[in-house]
Amino acid sequence: MKPAAFDYHRPDSLEEAVTLLAELGDDAKVIAGGQSLMPMLAMRLAAVDHLVDLRRVGELQGVVDRGDALWIGAGTTQAAIQRSADIDAAVPLLTRSTPLIGHFQIRNRGTLGGSVAHADAAGEYPAVALTLDAEIEASSVRGRRAIPAGDFFSGWWTTALEPDEVLTGVAFPRWHGRSGFAIEEFARRHGDYAIAGATVAVELDDDDRVRRCSIGLFGLAPQVERAAAAEAALVGTVAGDVRADEVGETAVSGLDSVPSDLHGPAEYRTRVGAAMVARAWEKALQEARNG
Amino acid sequence: MTAAARYAGARVQRVEDARLLTGHGSFVDDVVRPGMLHAHFVRSPLARGRITGIDVSAALALDGVHAVFTAEDLNPGVREPWYSLVGPKVPDTPRPALAEGEVRFVGDPVALVVAVDRYVAEDAAALVVVDYEPLEPVVDYKTATGSEELVHAAYPGNVAGTMSGRPAEQLAEVFASAAHVVEETIHQQAYQAVPMETRGLIAEYSAHDGGMTIWASTQVPHEVRLFCSRALGLSEHRVRVIMRDTGGGFGQKALPQREDLCVMLAALKVPAAVKWIEDRQENLSSAGQGRHEHGTARLAFDADGTILAAALDHVQDAGAYPVPWPVMTAVVVGMLFPGPYRVPAATFTCTSVFSNTNGRTAYRGPWQYETLAREVLLDVAARGMGIDAVELRRRNLLRHDELPVTNPNGMPYSDISPLETFEHALEILDHESFRREQAAARAAGRYIGVGTSSYVEPTTSGRGFHGTEGATIRIEPSGVVNVYVSGGSSGNSLETTAVQLTADALGVDIGQVNTIQGDTAVTPFGGGTGGSRSGSMIAGAVAETAAGLRERLLAIAAHRLEAAVEDLELADGRAQVRGTPGAGLSLAEIADIAYFDTRKLPPGVPPGLEASGRYQAQSPTIWANATHVCTCEVDVVTGAVTILRYIVSEDCGPMINPNVVEGQIAGGTVQGIGGALLENSVYDEDGNPITSTFVDYLLPTSTEVPVIEYGHVETPGPGPGGYKGVGEGGAIGAPPAVVNAVADALAPFGVTITRLPMTPASIVALLQEAEANQGVRV
Repeated sequence: MKPAAFDYHRPDSLEEAVTLLAELGDDAKVIAGGQSLMPMLAMRLAAVDHLVDLRRVGELQGVVDRGDALWIGAGTTQAAIQRSADIDAAVPLLTRSTPLIGHFQIRNRGTLGGSVAHADAAGEYPAVALTLDAEIEASSVRGRRAIPAGDFFSGWWTTALEPDEVLTGVAFPRWHGRSGFAIEEFARRHGDYAIAGATVAVELDDDDRVRRCSIGLFGLAPQVERAAAAEAALVGTVAGDVRADEVGETAVSGLDSVPSDLHGPAEYRTRVGAAMVARAWEKALQEARNG
Repeated sequence: MTAAARYAGARVQRVEDARLLTGHGSFVDDVVRPGMLHAHFVRSPLARGRITGIDVSAALALDGVHAVFTAEDLNPGVREPWYSLVGPKVPDTPRPALAEGEVRFVGDPVALVVAVDRYVAEDAAALVVVDYEPLEPVVDYKTATGSEELVHAAYPGNVAGTMSGRPAEQLAEVFASAAHVVEETIHQQAYQAVPMETRGLIAEYSAHDGGMTIWASTQVPHEVRLFCSRALGLSEHRVRVIMRDTGGGFGQKALPQREDLCVMLAALKVPAAVKWIEDRQENLSSAGQGRHEHGTARLAFDADGTILAAALDHVQDAGAYPVPWPVMTAVVVGMLFPGPYRVPAATFTCTSVFSNTNGRTAYRGPWQYETLAREVLLDVAARGMGIDAVELRRRNLLRHDELPVTNPNGMPYSDISPLETFEHALEILDHESFRREQAAARAAGRYIGVGTSSYVEPTTSGRGFHGTEGATIRIEPSGVVNVYVSGGSSGNSLETTAVQLTADALGVDIGQVNTIQGDTAVTPFGGGTGGSRSGSMIAGAVAETAAGLRERLLAIAAHRLEAAVEDLELADGRAQVRGTPGAGLSLAEIADIAYFDTRKLPPGVPPGLEASGRYQAQSPTIWANATHVCTCEVDVVTGAVTILRYIVSEDCGPMINPNVVEGQIAGGTVQGIGGALLENSVYDEDGNPITSTFVDYLLPTSTEVPVIEYGHVETPGPGPGGYKGVGEGGAIGAPPAVVNAVADALAPFGVTITRLPMTPASIVALLQEAEANQGVRV
């Protein structure tokens, strides 16, 4: 379980990093916390000629308040996100999802950008980004761009990122008013990739009607998904008029490529997914009502 | 023993802890030898195939590669590869060093690369070209007996062996006329020892004296030495095995396996030490699996729920290359099936079947299927008869005052306390109050349940290689004590045990005693860790050896003090006049006489203070028993099982160290919980292992396991100090306790659980099935 030889690069700036990627092309891969890539290299399931380590790139660090959104550098570790009061205040769903990622040793090294770019179908951060309509920012020698999360995740471990691009940060919009947020997932053990999970963000008006609602699903498709039909059905209804288990059923009803694996068939995952949506919905609603 | 035991029975802090808990343990991979080379195996990617050619030229051409060995190079060097535990006369199953002609499971070692480091060795392994002609594999042992394909040509029907008890026909009448008969076929999945330290060794051959030194991760250093000596045809005195810390064995490291043999053979052919450290994928796919088995179990009861007869037809997966010897260990499953109950009549068959998968190795309580099948079936029976499972057991469990008693298969139980541990564990739980809590929970739509499991276990075999154990004790000139025993501690605190017992035997402070274990050059021959033998056997060896030394210490002191030996005692590191502690000699003063002032020795007392002794076990086995009680909650939507409480009441006799006993119980119990809920070695239909990393092979971690509560019933056994074995029981008792707790939680749905592991998806499937059959709304 030792990786094949590769050349190691450790750029100090974003410019240096994107220049390297432009030069090396498909033979290079970026690495941040290495929590997914290193095991794949060690088991020789993946091989690279060049590894570009982003940990010294200063532009990927930091948290910036942009008013209507909070920008978080891609290099921010999951452990740092968990500790940040600013993040908890602005994007509580991100904070709440963090303890579900692996174990603390993993979170000490794993990064926001790494999780989003790896785009695991059961990834908590991809689900949160999608649920909150975050914008994912990328740079290359060709320039910078912001990709809406809805356009970013496109299949099994596949994203809109080009091979020469570096994911630099994610901008999470703030939600205001009487809002509530919850994440629920079911895994065989704490820290395992979820069999199924759901993220819910909801905003109520003063009459307890649903003004906005976002439901994210993970582990239930090749990539994280939004339950658009369930969201649409909820907007305008009086909170509590719709039964939580119905919200769950509706949310999973449109899924057509639910994976089957060692942990259970698609039918089972779908059932668990519906339950996670229902449980997250109840929690988020409770918080919004109290808000 | 005259002095009162000061340490035996006390919660003495482990002497191993300081180094292990601060990261200063020394495992095989920590050992570095001059010019050391690194080995890596080329393994079969096919479950079964004929090897039609191997081209090693590209691998050999790679910079840094010293050698690439195939069966042609290594296998002719094998002389007599038998094991001391089995002996040369018992017919053993095939076990070549490297695969010869045919590969028989995915992971079968085909070639061995030796290179300057592991990276280069793995690069080179990728360059070894092996041509295979694929053959139809026998993946599922359950259908292997009917397969035309044979794992080993010499074994028709893929049957490695069958053993049986009394003919089943003789019990037909009992079953036919019984008021209640219950029968289930119960399946246990393959799961594994999974030591945190994988297998590994360094073998260094010295051409200058023909000596072989091996640093091993093993439970049995002396067996590694004997095996190497016989297998390679080296004299025993040319082979030295050194083990320091071994990070878990659980049976997997009880015997050297094929890879160990290959590395030993390779060491003869390269000019430096060869290190092989197994990686986790290799460990999970090639180091051996346990448990994989099923059986049809039957119990007959009279109208009052009294057991009349027990029958078991058991079949186990031996894999391709089992460690010896699966047929012998399988018979124990049948013989112990009646368990700690009053059972008038019994019958069994036990069959071992080859398959093209990972070979069967010993795993903590290798016969534990008997407890799984019996205890699960008892709960099924209780539900069928409308009796609480606790009450059913109360009517049938053996009481201490009924002993000794021989079970219907000839197992002679003595010195156990089945009903006593059962009641003790239920008292810790407060069973009545749990039933009230359960009723309230059910009314609120929550499903909680309780399960119990009781077993009786043979420990401390008195036979053959395991039947004796030696110790050497040397009191140094300064008065400090060194105790040498063979060792083989793989986390089971044998150092603490040896130090405690020696300190008591010589009446010295524990800080004055050191133990040296694991180096065959300086330790007495011994059987190592296995069969829950170490506590009792080390106690016997230390007592035997210390007795002679005590006599000498007292004789020297008596002579010097002009006192009668009978008036002296050994206490506080001194030989002193009983009742007059001031009048006495310290061990240092006695040692000074024994080593440097020998004219002051009494007549007939030899100089020096070193003695060796060997203990012979006094009985063929020492029986131990326990009851496990588990409570859990089941989420009927997701199928998730959360264990609420876990209680073990164990009778391992008087405890040398309760901390060590509880550590052993905890470790085994957690492995059993893993087997019930999480761990599963899965093959696809082509025979590819699909759970060969920790992403897929799920071990229980601290978040899945509750705090374990312990109860101790202490019935002295027939050995020294009354001590019994305690190493394996946790892993035996736990799986059925968890199964029964889940089944009890789901009793309102009429669910019967007969398949492990109970994954959330499988629990949901059972609930859905019950819903379909009975119209129960889940």
